[in-house]
Amino acid sequence: MVRRAPAPGYVEKEKFPVCLFAHPAHMLETMDRRDEAARWAEWMAAAQDGDGAAYARLLAELLPVVRRMVRRRWPRPEDSEDVVQEVLLTLHAVRHTYDPARPFLPWLGAIVAHRVADGLRRHGRQGGRERALDEVPETFLSVEANTESVDAPSLRAAVASLPEGQRRAVEMVKLREMSLEEASAATGMTPGALKVAVHRAIKSLKAILARDDP
Amino acid sequence: MKTEALIETLAADAAPVRRLPPPSRRMGAWLLLTLPVVAAGAAVDGIRPDLAQRLAEARFVLEQLAALATGLLAAWAALSSAVPGIPPWRLALPLAPAMVWLASVGEGCWREWLAWGAAGLADRMWTPVCLPEVVATSVVPIAVMVVMARRGAGFHPARTGALAALAAASLASAGLSLSHEEDAAVTALVWHLGTVALLTGLGAVAGRRLVRPARFP
Repeated sequence: MVRRAPAPGYVEKEKFPVCLFAHPAHMLETMDRRDEAARWAEWMAAAQDGDGAAYARLLAELLPVVRRMVRRRWPRPEDSEDVVQEVLLTLHAVRHTYDPARPFLPWLGAIVAHRVADGLRRHGRQGGRERALDEVPETFLSVEANTESVDAPSLRAAVASLPEGQRRAVEMVKLREMSLEEASAATGMTPGALKVAVHRAIKSLKAILARDDP
Repeated sequence: MKTEALIETLAADAAPVRRLPPPSRRMGAWLLLTLPVVAAGAAVDGIRPDLAQRLAEARFVLEQLAALATGLLAAWAALSSAVPGIPPWRLALPLAPAMVWLASVGEGCWREWLAWGAAGLADRMWTPVCLPEVVATSVVPIAVMVVMARRGAGFHPARTGALAALAAASLASAGLSLSHEEDAAVTALVWHLGTVALLTGLGAVAGRRLVRPARFP
């Protein structure tokens, strides 16, 4: 058999099976992940026995993993951290269900999947009741909202017709927006008496305005 | 609250917890409580006089073994459904013997229909009504299973409820077949398999309330 000389630039292919040597970095990563999972399983078993330090280490190492898992499934990045926290709280609530004889990652993955599905259901339900607004209908800058009410004269007259104590109390506390202490210092009335006077004044005003404008 | 602060709070609250035993061991405990109840249910009417003769029939043995396997696998699956991370396909395992059971009884009904016609089937359908006995025998095992399942994570309460009812009702049906003298497949289909299906459906509905999902601490 005559073998032709290889063309310039030709590199002979690996004679070993590709899967064994082609991706050493990938293999190392898989081994790392396996080691990590074994370590987490060990720490979780310790946490189940009440080892708070092992539990703190475990949760700290799991945090970026849980964040990645949640972000892959949760559609809105702005509140994905809420879901991450719910996952951690649920993990804490069901930590007794982990069996150290079983692999750790499927257990964690099931908790993440459950919390994300629960969050999506809740979000779907809320979406039915709420509507996103592009513009909030604010009126405090519009002319109409700031036009003096046509009822102002009748309100003024009603305030004027109040007994002296009630009139002064409502003018200071409601119209000039003084604090109870300031109004108390100005009038010599106790804050309690002022509150009662304001309450009675408003009740009287309602009665007067209702009588004038049935 | 920042997530890092939450982790500190949770780690400070890491009190020792009682680890949930594996589902197979918990199923053993459930059977210890359940089998005497099923035996008592079967003993109320006494063992059927033709039992030895029926046990020589391949069809009868196949159906009772299928019911037994459905009950055992459903009990294992019900307890497994309360543990996060067990692959969902394993929870569907009881469907295989349930299908064998249904196929065998269904084939028997087909033969009876050919032999007796629709009127004959209707007459025999109403002879022994096993529904109350199957329900009465299943109540305690279902209740025990629900109490056990509530110790788990409860992520799939409807599934757990359905499997708990399927387990209890299948075992009750197998147990009662040793005392009930019904020969017609149509009776087994309606009053045994029908009751099992009914209880499984009710278990799915009630499971949502009875098997509480895990909430935050």
